[in-house]
Amino acid sequence: MAINLKPVDVAVIGLGAAGGVAVLPLARAGLKVAGLEAGTWMDPHRDFHADEVYNNIRRLVSSSPKAQRECPTVRATPSQQARSAGVHPMMNAIGGTSIHYWAQSWRLKPWDFRTRSESIRRYGSKSIPAGSTLEDWPVTYDDLEPYYDIIEQEVGVSGKAGNIQGRVDPAGNVFEAPRQREYPMPPLRGAGFTDHMMDAARQLGWKPFRPPAAINSQTYRGRAACVFHGYCSAGGCHVGAKNSTATTTIPDAVRTKNLTVFDKAHVTRIVSESNGASNGRVTGVTYIRDRKEYFQPAKIVLLAGYTYENSRLLLLSRSKAYPNGLSNNHGQVGRHYFGHWVSNVSALFPYDINVWYGLPAQGATVDEWADDSFDHAGLGFIGGASLHVYTERHPIDAAAMNTYGRAPLFGSAWKKFVHENAGRVASTYLQTNTFPYETTFLDLDPEVRDPLGDPVCRITAGGVRENEQRALQHAQNKMEEWFRAAGAIEVTKPPNNGPGISTHAYGGTRMGDNPETNVVDRWGFSHEAPNLGILGASVMGSSGARNPTLTLQALAWRTAEHLVKNWKSLAG
Amino acid sequence: MIDRMNSKDVSRRELIQSAAFVPLAALTLSAQQPAVKGALTPEQMKTLVAFIDRLIPRDELGPGAVDSGAQIYIDRVLAGPNANEKASFIQGLQAVDAYAKRVHGSALAELSTEKRDQVLNEMVDSPFFNRARRLTLEGMFSDPYYGGNKNFAGWDLIRYPGPRPAVAAEDQALKADIKPYRVSAYGIQYGH
Repeated sequence: MAINLKPVDVAVIGLGAAGGVAVLPLARAGLKVAGLEAGTWMDPHRDFHADEVYNNIRRLVSSSPKAQRECPTVRATPSQQARSAGVHPMMNAIGGTSIHYWAQSWRLKPWDFRTRSESIRRYGSKSIPAGSTLEDWPVTYDDLEPYYDIIEQEVGVSGKAGNIQGRVDPAGNVFEAPRQREYPMPPLRGAGFTDHMMDAARQLGWKPFRPPAAINSQTYRGRAACVFHGYCSAGGCHVGAKNSTATTTIPDAVRTKNLTVFDKAHVTRIVSESNGASNGRVTGVTYIRDRKEYFQPAKIVLLAGYTYENSRLLLLSRSKAYPNGLSNNHGQVGRHYFGHWVSNVSALFPYDINVWYGLPAQGATVDEWADDSFDHAGLGFIGGASLHVYTERHPIDAAAMNTYGRAPLFGSAWKKFVHENAGRVASTYLQTNTFPYETTFLDLDPEVRDPLGDPVCRITAGGVRENEQRALQHAQNKMEEWFRAAGAIEVTKPPNNGPGISTHAYGGTRMGDNPETNVVDRWGFSHEAPNLGILGASVMGSSGARNPTLTLQALAWRTAEHLVKNWKSLAG
Repeated sequence: MIDRMNSKDVSRRELIQSAAFVPLAALTLSAQQPAVKGALTPEQMKTLVAFIDRLIPRDELGPGAVDSGAQIYIDRVLAGPNANEKASFIQGLQAVDAYAKRVHGSALAELSTEKRDQVLNEMVDSPFFNRARRLTLEGMFSDPYYGGNKNFAGWDLIRYPGPRPAVAAEDQALKADIKPYRVSAYGIQYGH
């Protein structure tokens, strides 16, 4: 029998990138918030190290054991047996994935919010990828701009504005939409190699820039600046320069005394009312902590797990009012899911490029070939990809480099080759505008279960996506052009098969005005359970050509603020 | 001659197919501190050393995998974080030895360097070769905390300048010749 706890105003499930920012406006408004997090606090000195084996091979920061036991399964099509995806960096810890992410902190473009209507207007209705379920978002860039600004300030983002209220500055991204003011910190410094790549891009007539990152380029609100030591990817920051929610908004919310953090709280169900006047409302959350089961009553529940876990917990939380899973009476939970199409085009240079140190957010980015920055007439796809070159290279990865057919894989000839070339390889991150499709979705795996006996999430990746394939191919060719202009002597373009499981996972609880095709409304609240809000990339209906975190944080803050402003009507 | 070639082809196929590897993903789950007690018997260790000695040999460019202790790293991880590939890895080592005996007349460790190079060449596209090579790279190029990369021989070979507390802009200059910083991330007791 579950132990009944004292009711709270809001129960937030998951204190990661999304839940970790939403708690702050709630706590500041005086609401009593229970933050339920399956993981616990990580200690920068005990848990974070400048060590490739620790971070990148054993993944001791990014693969918390509980999350790994709940890792989704993947299949390409429904006719196949789904198999465990193995390891995924979805996280159990206060701060969640924002502890180990690259911290690239992008605003989406106005086009991303209106891709469907803008593409039809410019290229005709046939430009919409066949089989896609793409809709315009119910919010626009202008709706979200104030919240992007809040997150940039509260979390702390370094960057250079390319467009302040219409004034375009080529030192920043000239393709970005107008923003109300400059970033709170200047961009991270360039490295010799990224500066060289910027020069090469300018020679091509492109407009490169140093991208925004939630990493302190200088001391910010008492927190240290980045030391560029080269162990940021899949690692936590031992000096606290990476602005995870564990070091920013969550401690700020705790200080109000209105947020209580319940760590090691493994939420198993969201409970809903099946009788009387409050039929269909959620009443609270069941969780297990230290082998005891608790019921936390709450007037409002905000679900803020990783994308896979958001759909899974809803599908597991059945009741009389929701026989197919919470907020799933329209069969939309798990639908409109997609993983981000990304690629690494790598290159070999004939001299030392010295990218050992730094971090993936220290880079040079080109936006010419993303979104709708260029004319797509006759190209056979919409969207594109951002091109990003960066620093941070680890010794084992470097020694395991491609030998490009220039040397054998072992022996003295190999030693000579890596001695000369291990410090001459550049990596890139190309992120494609990715869309939802009818045949890509999440559901519960009928066979694989977690240690509690609950089914894990199952990903059905769907078939060939010609639009994304062509867009990424186009971007890879542009990346090669950029590398060649910079003097690369070898360029490797990997095949594009699309993601199974993804570190940028979107949808499953999509936001939209139409309850027939969306789980949450334009404010992030369920179309069916009026006191249930959902936070995270699971509400996003398209990816943009860039990392999701700043957008999902802006949306999370907006949902929380909407709750504060409409407390009486939402809390009932 | 024809018979011998056939037998070689068959045993090569056996060699390539011998080690049924668990997915890499499964290896990263049970990780904690490296165990001090190793996984391999002296005989298995002998084969491993004979193998990785040719993967990354000592030569005019400096120490090889064995000098830098990559075998210590491998022995430890197979007993600890990578225990779930211990059996298949040992099977692979035994398959290499069986192949060396059948085709070249003695166990790998007893063969000349030329013959050992020949064995490696004959299995260069096999899963065991790839896995053993990968673990050797991990051993030779990881922080010395884990038992390999003795005297930072691996990092010197690839000219990795080493983790350091703070990195100045000059340390990130294009074509820079950076003075290496040679201290384990876990303190000088593990290497400096």
